[in-house]
Amino acid sequence: MNFDWSVVGAHRHALAAATGTTVLLTVATMAIAVPCGIVVASVRLYAWAPLRAMATAYVELFRNLPLILLVYWAFYVLPIATDVGLSPFATGLAALALNVTAYNAETFRAGIGSIRRGQLEAAMALGMSRTQAVRRIVLPQAVRRILPVLASTWVSLFKDTSLVSVIAVPELAYVAMQIRAQTFRVLEMLTAMAAIYWLLGYPQAKLVDWIQRRYAVTE
Amino acid sequence: MQVDLSVITDHWRFLAYGIGVTIALAAASGAASLALGFLVALARLFGPRWAKPAVVLYIDSMRAVPVLVVLVWTFFALPILTGLTMQPFVAALIGLTVHLAAYAAEIYRAGIESVRRGQTRASLALGMSRPQILRRIVLPQALVRMLPAFGSLLSMTIKDTAIASVIAVPEIMRQSETLAGQSFQPIEVYSFAMLVYFLILFPVTRGVDRIYRRVAHLGRS
Amino acid sequence: MSRRAKESGATIIRYRGVVKRYGAFEALSGVDLDVHAGEVVCLIGPSGSGKSTLLRCTNALETIDGGAIEFEGARLPRDERALREVRRRMGMVFQSFELFPHLTALHNVAEGPRTVLQARRAEAENRARAMLAKVGLSDKATSYPAALSGGQQQRVAIARALAMEPDVMLFDEPTSALDPETIGEVLSVMKALADEGMTMVVVTHEMTFARRVGDWVAVFDAGRIVEQGPPRQIFDAPTTERTRDFLSHLGWHGETL
Repeated sequence: MNFDWSVVGAHRHALAAATGTTVLLTVATMAIAVPCGIVVASVRLYAWAPLRAMATAYVELFRNLPLILLVYWAFYVLPIATDVGLSPFATGLAALALNVTAYNAETFRAGIGSIRRGQLEAAMALGMSRTQAVRRIVLPQAVRRILPVLASTWVSLFKDTSLVSVIAVPELAYVAMQIRAQTFRVLEMLTAMAAIYWLLGYPQAKLVDWIQRRYAVTE
Repeated sequence: MQVDLSVITDHWRFLAYGIGVTIALAAASGAASLALGFLVALARLFGPRWAKPAVVLYIDSMRAVPVLVVLVWTFFALPILTGLTMQPFVAALIGLTVHLAAYAAEIYRAGIESVRRGQTRASLALGMSRPQILRRIVLPQALVRMLPAFGSLLSMTIKDTAIASVIAVPEIMRQSETLAGQSFQPIEVYSFAMLVYFLILFPVTRGVDRIYRRVAHLGRS
Repeated sequence: MSRRAKESGATIIRYRGVVKRYGAFEALSGVDLDVHAGEVVCLIGPSGSGKSTLLRCTNALETIDGGAIEFEGARLPRDERALREVRRRMGMVFQSFELFPHLTALHNVAEGPRTVLQARRAEAENRARAMLAKVGLSDKATSYPAALSGGQQQRVAIARALAMEPDVMLFDEPTSALDPETIGEVLSVMKALADEGMTMVVVTHEMTFARRVGDWVAVFDAGRIVEQGPPRQIFDAPTTERTRDFLSHLGWHGETL
C-alpha cells in the first residue's frame, strides 16, 4: 500500500473553490427557505381552510421524501415544467430550497404554536390588538424556541449539499470524487473529502449545541 | 406532456426488488444502529472515564460528516485499508449503522437523563440495585419518552437508504436510476419512486405518533 | 360600607341572562348579576360551574351566546377596536400569572402603558415603578419572571393590570396556583386594593378572603347562580341546599372572628 497525500495539496485550489460552492449553496438555500418557510407557516396557522390544507400537504410531502430523489426528480422535471434550461447549480438549489422550506415551515409553525394561549390573552386583556400582541409578546418568545432548531437545520443542510453531487454540481463531494477518478488516489482523496467536511461541520455542530444551551427555555 | 405508465408496469419486478432491498437495508441498519447506539450510550453514561470523550467525539463527528461521504468512504476507501473486498449492500449496512448509531446514542442518553431523579431515589430507598433500577424503573419510562425521537430516526433511516444508490446498492433509488436511463422516461419512473417512498414513510411517521399517544402516560412521572 | 350604600352608586357591570355554549355543552345558563362601583364581588362554586367562563366573557376573551353584558352603562361592543377600548378599562389577573417571560418585571408592568396607551418610555417606566412599589416589589424591577416566586409573579401581574388605571379589576382564581406560604402576600395586596375602593370581581376558592373582603358573594353551580348575597348570608346562613353542600365539602364550618 503506498499513499501519495501530495495529490490533495496539488488540487487545493479546486478543493477550495468546491468548498466555496458548498457554502454558497447552503447560504443561498437558507436565504430562500427562511422567508418561504415563514410564508408557508403563516398560511398553515392563519389562512382560509383550503389554503391551509394545501400548505400542510406541501409540508407533509417534502418531509416524507428522500432529498436525493428530489434532486434527481428536479433535474428531469423542472426543465420540462418550467420550459427553462436550468444549470445543475440552480436545479440543486431548487431541490434543496423546496426541501428545507418544508422543514422550516414546520419549525416556525410549531414554535409559534408552542407559545401558551394565555400569553396572547394576557396581552389582549391589557387592550392590545391581536397584531400588537403577536408582534410584541408571542413572536419574541417564539424566536427563542425557533433559533436552536433553525441552527440544527442549517447543519443538516450543509451536509445535504453533498447530495447535489449526483447531478454534477461542482461542490465539494463532486469535485473530490472527480479528482479521485482522475488521479486514482482513492483513499487519499476520499479521506481528504471526509476531513474537509469534518473540519467545517464539527465547529458548526458545536455552535448548534451552544445555541441550544443559550436559548434553552425555562417556563 | 405524455405520460406513459407502461414503463412501470412492464418492469414492476425490477422495481419491486428495489423496494425489497430498501426495506431490508432500512430494517437491518435500523436494528443494528439501535443496538450499537445503546452500547455507545451505556459506555458514555456508565463506562470508564476515557469512554466519555471518545463517545462525544464519535457522535459529533457523525453530526459533522454527510452520510454520502461515510458511505462512499466505507465502500471505496475502507477496502484499501483493510484489504477486504465488500459487497455494496454490506458497505451500505456498515456505513449507515455507524452513522445512525451516533444519533441513536444521543436519543438514549437524552431519554434516560430525562427521567426524574426522584424515581431513582425512591427505588434506592426500597433497596434496589442500580442495574435493577435501570432495567425495571428508568429504562421502561425512558423508552416511552424516546419513542417520537426513534420514529424520526426510522424515517431518517429509510430516507438515507436512498443515498446508498451512490454506491450501487440496488434499492429503489438505484433501480429507478437504471430504469429511467434505459427507458428515457425519467419523469414517470422518478414520480413512481416518489410515490413509493411517500407511501412507506407517511404511515411510519403517523404510526409512531399514534403509538406514542397511546403509551405516553406510561412515561410520565 | 354596606352593599346598600354601594348599590346607590353606579352599576359598573350588569349581567342579564348570560348564556355561553361550547358546542353542545352549556357553560352558562342564564346568569343575572350586578357589580356596583367600589364593590368586591366574589364568585365561588365547584370547578366547572362557570365562574371563570363568566369572567372571561366580561372582557370579551370569550363571546356570549345569549343575554347581555353591560359595562358602564353600555353593552359590550362587537367591534374589535371598540372592544380594545373596553379592555383598557378592565384589568385582568390570571391563575397562571401569564407574565411575559422575555421582559423584566419593570417592562412587564410598563408594557401596557407603552404599547396600548402609547405612553413615552420614561413615563411608562415611572408609572411601572410606582405600581411595583404599590405591590411591594420595587427591589425586583430588573428581575425576570423566572427568577421570581409564584407570589411575586402574581403581584407583578397585579401591578401590570393596575398600570392601565382600570375601572374594574377581574381576578380569575389568582391564588389557586400558589404555594400556601405565598397566598397571603397576594391576598394582602388584593385587600389593600379593595380598601382603596377598587371595583373587583374575584373568582376564588379562598373562602376566608371572600368572607372578610367581599361585599357580595355569588354561588355558582352548573352554569347558574344558585344563591347570591352578602358574605354573612352565604357563609353563616345559606338559604339553599346547594350552597350548604358546597361549603361543607370545602370543610367550611364557619369562621370565628
